[in-house]
Amino acid sequence: MPAALEVRGLTKDYRSPVKEPGLWGGVKSLFDRRYKDTRAVDGVTFDIAEGELVGFLGANGAGKTTTLKMLSGLLTPTAGTATVLGRVPWRREAAFQKMISLVMGQRSQLWWEIPAYETFRLNQAIYGLPDAVFKDQLEELTDLLDLGEHLTVPVKKLSLGQRMRAELAAALLHRPRLLLLDEPTIGLDVVMQKKVREFVKAYNRRHGATVMLTSHNMTDVTELCRRVIVIERGRLLYDGPLDRLVARYADHKIVRARFTARVDPADLAELGTVTACDGESAVLQVPRGRVALAAAALLRSYPVADLDVEEVDIDDVVRGLFSRPPA
Amino acid sequence: MRARARKYGRIWLRTASMAVQAQLTYRLGSLGFLLGKMIRLVFFFAFVIAIFNHVQTVAGYSLAETALFFLTFNLVDMAAQILFRGVYGARRTVTEGDFDFYLIQPCSPLFRMVCSTVDFLDLVTIVPVLVMVGMVFARLPPLGLGRYLAYGALTVNAVVLVFAVHVLVAALAVRTQEMENAIWIYRDVMFMGKFPVDVYARPVRWALTFALPIAVMTTFPAKALLGILSPAWAAYSVALAAAAVALSLRFWRGSVALYTSSSS
Amino acid sequence: MKKYLVAYSIALQETLQRRSTLLMDRVGGFAVVLSLYSFWSALLGDKPSFLGYTRAEMMSYVLLINVLRAFVFTGRGWQTVSEISSGRISSYLVRPLSYHGYSLALDLAQKTVHVVSSFVEVAVLAWFVRGGVFLPRDPAAWLLFALSAALASLLFFFMEFMVSSLAFWTSESGGPLFCFDLFLQFAAGAFFPLDVLPAAVRRLLSATPFPYMVYVPVRVLLEKVSHAEAARLIAVEAAWLAAFALAAVALWRRGVRSYAAEGG
Repeated sequence: MPAALEVRGLTKDYRSPVKEPGLWGGVKSLFDRRYKDTRAVDGVTFDIAEGELVGFLGANGAGKTTTLKMLSGLLTPTAGTATVLGRVPWRREAAFQKMISLVMGQRSQLWWEIPAYETFRLNQAIYGLPDAVFKDQLEELTDLLDLGEHLTVPVKKLSLGQRMRAELAAALLHRPRLLLLDEPTIGLDVVMQKKVREFVKAYNRRHGATVMLTSHNMTDVTELCRRVIVIERGRLLYDGPLDRLVARYADHKIVRARFTARVDPADLAELGTVTACDGESAVLQVPRGRVALAAAALLRSYPVADLDVEEVDIDDVVRGLFSRPPA
Repeated sequence: MRARARKYGRIWLRTASMAVQAQLTYRLGSLGFLLGKMIRLVFFFAFVIAIFNHVQTVAGYSLAETALFFLTFNLVDMAAQILFRGVYGARRTVTEGDFDFYLIQPCSPLFRMVCSTVDFLDLVTIVPVLVMVGMVFARLPPLGLGRYLAYGALTVNAVVLVFAVHVLVAALAVRTQEMENAIWIYRDVMFMGKFPVDVYARPVRWALTFALPIAVMTTFPAKALLGILSPAWAAYSVALAAAAVALSLRFWRGSVALYTSSSS
Repeated sequence: MKKYLVAYSIALQETLQRRSTLLMDRVGGFAVVLSLYSFWSALLGDKPSFLGYTRAEMMSYVLLINVLRAFVFTGRGWQTVSEISSGRISSYLVRPLSYHGYSLALDLAQKTVHVVSSFVEVAVLAWFVRGGVFLPRDPAAWLLFALSAALASLLFFFMEFMVSSLAFWTSESGGPLFCFDLFLQFAAGAFFPLDVLPAAVRRLLSATPFPYMVYVPVRVLLEKVSHAEAARLIAVEAAWLAAFALAAVALWRRGVRSYAAEGG
C-alpha cells in the first residue's frame, strides 16, 4: 500500500520572548527582545500507510498536538520534512486542504448560537461540494453519528457528546482521506466515547481513510488502533503493534477495593503489588492473567464494600516505556 | 478566476446569513446596539442642522456641504462596519482557536477573518444615511455626472483604505494575540473625520492627510463632489489606498508566517 | 471602610499597570476633544460669541467636556454586566461586602487616573487655545462646580448600575448599556452645549436628570447661572441622585433575588 504520510526528522522549536521584570524590562523588551527556544518535537520519523488507523501516544506536553498541527499544515516545522498524501502540508495548498481534516476535542468550529447544519452548509461552500455530494455525505454522517434532529437545534443547546458528534460531521463532510483526531473523546461519558469510537472505526473502514488519533483514554487506543506511535519529550520512543506495547508495558491491571473494616496492607501483598493502602481502601497492581483470581480472593477473604478493576492509565504505560533501560 | 469569485461569493453569503441568524437570537442586545447607533446618527445630524440655525457657514461651508462631509464619514464608516465586522473579534478568533480552522480550510484566512460575520443589521442604519445623502444631493446645485462618479469612486477608494486599516488590525491580532484595543483607537480617531478637515489647525490637517489619512477617507470624496479637490489630490488618494493595501497585505502575510512558525 | 480603601488602592495600581488600555482610552478621548475644539474654533471664526458663549467660554466648555468625561462617564457597567452574566458575581455576593461600595471604590480608582490624565491633556490644549480660556475668579463658582460634578459622577454611577442590573434577567444587556451610554452622552451635553438644540427639546431634556451630568456643572463654572440658581439646580440634582440611588439598589436587590432563585 502507498504511504499516506512520510515523516522524516520532523523538528519544531517554539520561540518565546524572555521578559525582564519591571517597567524598564518591559520597555527594554520592546527594542531588544531576547528569545528562548524550547524543542517541542525532536527529529520524529515514521511512515503511515493509506488506510491505517494509528494511535499517537505520549504524556501531556510530549509534542503530540504540535506534530498533528504540523501534519495538518497549521505549523511550519523548524527542520525535517513531511509528505502527506503526496504534498507538503505547511504550503497549505487548497488541493491538500481538501484531502485532510483536523478535529480537536477541545476546540470547536461550529457556530455557537445557530444549528450545526448552518456550519455544514458553510463548509459545503468552503470545500466547494456540489449539492448532490453534500446531501449524500450528510445523510451518511447523520446516520452513522445518529445526529438526526440535533442538527436543527442551536449548538449551544446540545450536550457535549452531541456537539462532538456534530463536530466530527462538520470535519468529514468533504470526505477527507486523512483524519487527524486530537483527543476526540475528552470529556465525554462512557456511552458517548463508545459511539465516537465506533464511528471512527466505521469511517476508516468504509472509506479507507487514514486516521491518526491521540487520546488519554486507553480504551480508545485498544479498541481502535493496531499500531501505536509513542513520543516523549518530543522524541519517538516506540513505533509498533499495540499488543506488544500493552503486553510489555501494561502487563497488569489496577484493582481498587474499599473495605468495611481495617485491613493490613501486608496481607494484601500476596495478591499483587500494593501501590496505596490506608487500611480502609487499597489499590493493587495485579498481573493481567491473575486479575480474576485476585478479585475472587479479595471478595472471599476480606470485608470488601466495593471493588473496581481498571486498565492501566495510558500515561502510566508511556511512563513505563520511558523508564525502560536502554536496549 | 470566475469559479474562485463564485466560491468566495458563496462563502460570503453563507457567513452573512449565519451572522444574521446568530444576531436574531440576541434580539434585545442587537436592538440596543442598533438603537444606539441610530441615536448617535440622529443626534449628530440634528446638531449640524441646529448649528446652521445660528450661522451661515462653518469653515466656509454651507449646511448642505457640512452635512455632506458628515454623511460621507458615516457612509464610509458604516460600510466598513458592515463589511469588515470580523476584525472586531480578531483577538478572540485567534485565542479561541477559530483561526486554526481558518488556516487548514481551503479558503483565504484573511477573507474569513475580515469579511466573515457580515453585520447585516447595520444595513438598517446605512439606509437612512443613504436617504440623507440623497436629500443633500438635492439641495446642492446640479452637478455634472463626472462629479458624482468621482464622489462614488473616491468613497469606494476610502472603503479600500479602511480595509487596509482593518487588515493591519487583524494582522496585529494574529501577531501579538492582544491588541484588542487597536480597532477602538481607530474608531475614536476616526471621530475626527466627522468634520471637514479644514476646521483643523495646519499641523493636525497635515497629520490627517498623510500620517493618519482620515481626511482621505472622509473629506476628499465630498470635496471631489463639490469640485474643490484637485486631480492631483484624487490621484494621491488612489495611490495611497493602493500602497496601504499592498503594505497591509504584506504585513498580514508576515504575521501569518510568524504565527505558523511560532504559535504554541 | 478599610476594605474599600484596599480595593481602591489595588484597583489604582491595576489601572496604572494596564498601560496600553489606559493610553488607548486617553488617546481616543483626546481625539474627540481635539475634533470638537477645532470645530468650534472654526465655527466661531472671528465672531465675538455664539449662542451666548464667548470664544473663551466655548473653549472652556470643550475642555471641560474632557475632564467631565473622565470624571463622570468612566463607569464599570461593562464589567458589572460580564461579572453577572459569567456568574463571577456569586463570589462577591457571599462575601461581607457591598457590591455597590466595592464597585464604587474600583470606579473611583479608575476615575482618579483618568481625571489626572485629563487635566494634563487639557492643560496642554489650553496652552494652544487662541484667545485663551475662561476661568471664574469667584471661588464660590469652583465650589459649586465641584459639588455639582461630584453629584453628577454618583448619578451616573447609579444610573449605569441600574442598566447593568438588567444582566440579572437577560444575557444580552450589553445592547441596552451601549444604547444608554450613547444617549446619555448626547443628552448630557458631552458632545455640544445643549443650547444648540431647539427650545422644545431643551425644555424636554431639562425635565430629565441627563443635563445635570455635564451641561449644568459646566454652566455653573462658566458663571452662566446665579449662585441662587446654581444652588437650586444642585438641589434638584441631589434629588435625582437620591431617587436613582434608591431605585438602583432596589433593582439590584430584586436582581440578586431572581438570580439566587434560579440557582445562579
